[in-house]
Amino acid sequence: MSLTKEPRVADATGPEKPTGLRRFLNESHGREPFLTNRNRVLWYGFLAICLIAGAWSVFLRFTQGLAVTDLTSQMPWGAWIAFYIFFVGLSAGAFLLSSLVYVFGMYQFEKIGRAALLSATISMFVALAFVGMDLGRFDRALSTLIHFHWTSPLSWEVRFYVMYIVLLIAELTIALRLHRGLVASAKKAQRWLRILGTIGIPLAIVGVHGGTGTIFAVVKARGMWFGGLFPIIFVVSAMVSGTALLMAINYWQARGAGRKPDKPLLTGLSTVLLGAILIEILLTFYEFIVPLLSFQENDTGIINIQTTGPYAWTFWILQLGLGMIIPAIILLSPLKRRLGWVVAAAMMVVVGIVGVRFNIVVPPLIPPIIDGYPFNNYFPTIHEWLLVVFFVAGGALLYSLVSEWQPIHEPESQTETDTEVAA
Amino acid sequence: MSEHQPKWGMVIDLQKCVGCDSCTVACKVENRTPPGVNYNVVVEQELGTFPNVQRVNIPRPCMQCDVPACVTVCPVNATYKGDDGIVVIDADRCIGCRYCITACPYGARSFDFGETYADEMQGADEVQAPEWGIDRGERGGIWDAPVGTVRKCTFCSHRIAGGEEPACCETCIGDARYFGDLNDPESKVAQLASDPRAFRLKEELGTAPNVYYLR
Repeated sequence: MSLTKEPRVADATGPEKPTGLRRFLNESHGREPFLTNRNRVLWYGFLAICLIAGAWSVFLRFTQGLAVTDLTSQMPWGAWIAFYIFFVGLSAGAFLLSSLVYVFGMYQFEKIGRAALLSATISMFVALAFVGMDLGRFDRALSTLIHFHWTSPLSWEVRFYVMYIVLLIAELTIALRLHRGLVASAKKAQRWLRILGTIGIPLAIVGVHGGTGTIFAVVKARGMWFGGLFPIIFVVSAMVSGTALLMAINYWQARGAGRKPDKPLLTGLSTVLLGAILIEILLTFYEFIVPLLSFQENDTGIINIQTTGPYAWTFWILQLGLGMIIPAIILLSPLKRRLGWVVAAAMMVVVGIVGVRFNIVVPPLIPPIIDGYPFNNYFPTIHEWLLVVFFVAGGALLYSLVSEWQPIHEPESQTETDTEVAA
Repeated sequence: MSEHQPKWGMVIDLQKCVGCDSCTVACKVENRTPPGVNYNVVVEQELGTFPNVQRVNIPRPCMQCDVPACVTVCPVNATYKGDDGIVVIDADRCIGCRYCITACPYGARSFDFGETYADEMQGADEVQAPEWGIDRGERGGIWDAPVGTVRKCTFCSHRIAGGEEPACCETCIGDARYFGDLNDPESKVAQLASDPRAFRLKEELGTAPNVYYLR
């Protein structure tokens, strides 16, 4: 419908009709472009380099299977599983943030509602790509939907992921149509957004991300995984990383489009981020103090590896430093009034949570499962890293293309009046 | 009671085990397992402090648990407990997610990464063991099961079907491994399993293994 609209008067690019790709870009509809032309070259050039760099590794993954990884039978999960839970977390966090707008009516965050839903959707795609790449038999991935095993959290997860993705796409579609003034009744659309968001909250918390934590939490053979706190920590760190990601996206997109970043919005989000980080610090404290004070060898051995092992820096610098302590200090200090620092804190958190995810997956698999087995030593191979680069860049590309096409980032404009005209 | 249903079990006498690893070798030969896939290993543990030290060899096949931690987590029911007590993997259904490997408290499962002994041994890939009674012919590439799936000790179910005991038990030079029907109270394994010397690995996890050790 909007494709046939007359170009707005403000759009002074000339009377010629846009053709080809141009026709789909936002600016041909009189909306704000996703990026300036110069930044477009830089951004898509960068993504192209990443995709080309990773393509060979993806090819090798498909021809040589999991032999391209540093995994063994004693060390069955590694980087790809870490990135899988990282992206599930980003998705759940971003979705919960969108529900602040559409369910709880915190309209000060409305500007990021659509970006939150889109990043939640694409994060889920990327997460599924990672877990798919990690399957020994990728070709049988869909059979997980046919065969169901109720005692397996993973079996439930697959179904929750599908429901969640359908819900995300439906909600995003409604939110976009509402924004573009394409709905017959704005009230009805808002009601649907509220309904879908309300269904989505337990789905995202219990189904998608708490459930992903449960995959690990039920494994009684492994210290630090086994326990009831684990799924909750998953959800909280999801909220942390999702909020931080959206702050970073919002800031950099505004800069990339040559717009001034929305300081009140980012400041508001930083409050949400700080709250989530503080809860995460609290839960992490209990996660460690309980096994330490109970001298539970199964767990303390793993804590020992995490804090003093060869990759202890990922725990101290990434997980605790960048992921929790430094951003918390920034957001609690007067630095929080400086936008640059706030965004830096958000970006630190995103990187730090990668460390959190690695430290969830890897250290509990390091010690020998029976005394007398050797300790495992795992570090992702170059192909594992490059495949990560490929799929992360692929997700970013997909996100950018959708944002070029649909008004994901356009600041709230005349939605109200538009819908009234339409109604 | 209709027909007798056996429940296969194993008893391993640690006092008789000399740690020669011939069970591991016999297993690899019998099951033609590729590099990195080991159904049986012998774990060497050193106990005590000098001068009161002792070395214990613990041969470790699959424990064929009654409450298998690996089975409960399988998302597609590819692994399940057979009527004869053996924990089975359906290589034609397994998706290779390796969740079961993380869940097994005994490290008894291996993932088949597709490696081969072809460079070291002539004809290494020409035939595969008829695991679970299925003849899979030549060993293939990464899309040819069991490559890309999880594998484990079958208690040599193809040998049991022919009335033989598992290769590890047959080859054991010290006669340390006993194999038999735990459902038959007259069987040697059933009697040894209730011996005061008998214990099971990680009993506290409640997995109820069907492999017993005599200390």
